[in-house]
Amino acid sequence: MTAQLLVNGLVNAALIAPPAIALSLLFSVLRFPNFAIGGYITAGAFLAYAANAGAGLPLWGAALVAMAGTSLLVWLSDEIVFKPLRGQDPVTLLVVSIALTLIIEHVVRLIYSADVRGFDLPLQRPHRFAGIRITEEQLELLALAAAIAALTHLLLRYTRTGRAVRATADNPVLAEVRGVPTRRIVTAVWVYSGALFGLTGVLAGLDLVIEPLLGWNLTIPIFAAAILGGIGSPYGAMLGAVLVGIAEELTVLVLPSTYKVGVGFFIIAVLLLVRPHGLLGQPEIRK
Amino acid sequence: MTAYLVSMATFVGFFMLLALALNLQWGMTGMVNFGIAGFYALGAYTSALLSVKLGLPLWLAMPAGAVAGLLAGTLVALLSIRLSGDFLAIVTLGFGEFVRLVALNEDWLTEGPRGLKIDARPFADVFSRESYPLVYLGLVAAAVALAFLVAERIRRAPLGRTLRAIREDAVVAEVLGKNVLLHRITVFAIGAAFMGAAGALYAHYVQNISPQVFMPMVAIFIWMSVIVGGPGNNWGLMLGAGLVMAILEGTRFLGDVIDWLDAEKLSAIRVILIGILLIVIIRLRPRGVMPEPRFRYRGSRAAADGSSVNDVTGRGDTT
Repeated sequence: MTAQLLVNGLVNAALIAPPAIALSLLFSVLRFPNFAIGGYITAGAFLAYAANAGAGLPLWGAALVAMAGTSLLVWLSDEIVFKPLRGQDPVTLLVVSIALTLIIEHVVRLIYSADVRGFDLPLQRPHRFAGIRITEEQLELLALAAAIAALTHLLLRYTRTGRAVRATADNPVLAEVRGVPTRRIVTAVWVYSGALFGLTGVLAGLDLVIEPLLGWNLTIPIFAAAILGGIGSPYGAMLGAVLVGIAEELTVLVLPSTYKVGVGFFIIAVLLLVRPHGLLGQPEIRK
Repeated sequence: MTAYLVSMATFVGFFMLLALALNLQWGMTGMVNFGIAGFYALGAYTSALLSVKLGLPLWLAMPAGAVAGLLAGTLVALLSIRLSGDFLAIVTLGFGEFVRLVALNEDWLTEGPRGLKIDARPFADVFSRESYPLVYLGLVAAAVALAFLVAERIRRAPLGRTLRAIREDAVVAEVLGKNVLLHRITVFAIGAAFMGAAGALYAHYVQNISPQVFMPMVAIFIWMSVIVGGPGNNWGLMLGAGLVMAILEGTRFLGDVIDWLDAEKLSAIRVILIGILLIVIIRLRPRGVMPEPRFRYRGSRAAADGSSVNDVTGRGDTT
């Protein structure tokens, strides 16, 4: 029973790790919590749904369409909405991002209504190892999340652009002075995050159901993971995702499962009180 | 038609109460609150449950709604010891969702999604059924007037100057000897009490409350009201609340003109419209339609009471 919950927790973690990494990356270069991620994820799920159930593409093709489409949407949201407000108070940007998520969610509602949907896939019997049930899709999900974590690590650590991203996150003015094209770097981060949000939409659609509130329901665990790890730190986000994912599943042992959503908030509230910079984040120096 | 207008005016009243509260917390003091729906729900459920389950008279139950808001507001504000700005936003949002989850899941108490039916109405036996909606509008208007007076009084008092100082730079206010934490808790709690009172008034007006009403969306409508009106300005937000309601209700009539729009599509369009308008206003008029009057330095008098920090004027272009 507990082993099964741990596995479920890991699957859960694999689902929230990529968007938590993306959220952390975005925060590190833009310095505001972007609540529009819920809208981005929902958009990704429905783009994949349209490509899969609508246009009849296989799921991996639909996932690519969703990643490209969401990247484009996320980039456009920056160009149209966030870029002109650059440098504004984080709270203003937060309000704007919530408005944006509502807009995206309701555009989806306008087109697809609030019905619950699923991808066009054959049903599969779950594998069993030592009494633990896990489906083929969940195994793929775990592998994908690990691959994305590794890819993000390699990009940040060993590529020129990755170094520039870290420099921009550290000190944008200094990076600019040293000749880093910070504007292009920020755009690159938006596009990369967009692809991750799109992929999350597809994976969430596989693991849960596709509906307009899909992204909103994931927003809080994602924020919990990113804040737990220390927002702005992509490595922390991976660790945070594992902890939040397992914590959410384990609470089922003591609380009715309807309160699972509350766990993320509880983690955030306690954590912000005792260690506001998160597990792996740097304390912010106050002037 | 008159009945419709009276009921709309009553709802604008609820919005105004919530917006006045948010303006105290955020507009004047800079404390972000996205859990508006939570405090609103808490007030509504407290008053409703006390009168339905315990049979308490309304003159006790309805103020209890405000007190519940006050207590919850104090607790949430304690979080601001460590948090500011955007992180307080996430925690308050969490508080709001938590209240909604409890209302949704503990159906032995709250009747869950079926909704809680409330029979008791204030002064119901004094006035005739025909005039009752007007009486209730009067009651809500009185509550708005009272909240407005309290908020204006705070704004003009030395306390208001301290709050603006905290909003502009909490560290400077602290250095000047102001107890920032105590001020923050006080103001947040007063605002939360307004929200609780609004909830209680709402509950006994609609006489049936369910968790679906208290979605985080409510917070966006209220933020919209304050931002459109001009943060920090109590008059502006009254205009803002009216405008938001006009958009919410005005779009209802689109359905009569365009026939492929069903109720579900219309409500989606309504939210999209509000969202776009909010973004456009923040872009073009970040200080709102009625910007907060600039605080003027009045020489020795203001300097003597010590609460006027060197420059409390420039909020810049940030909202």
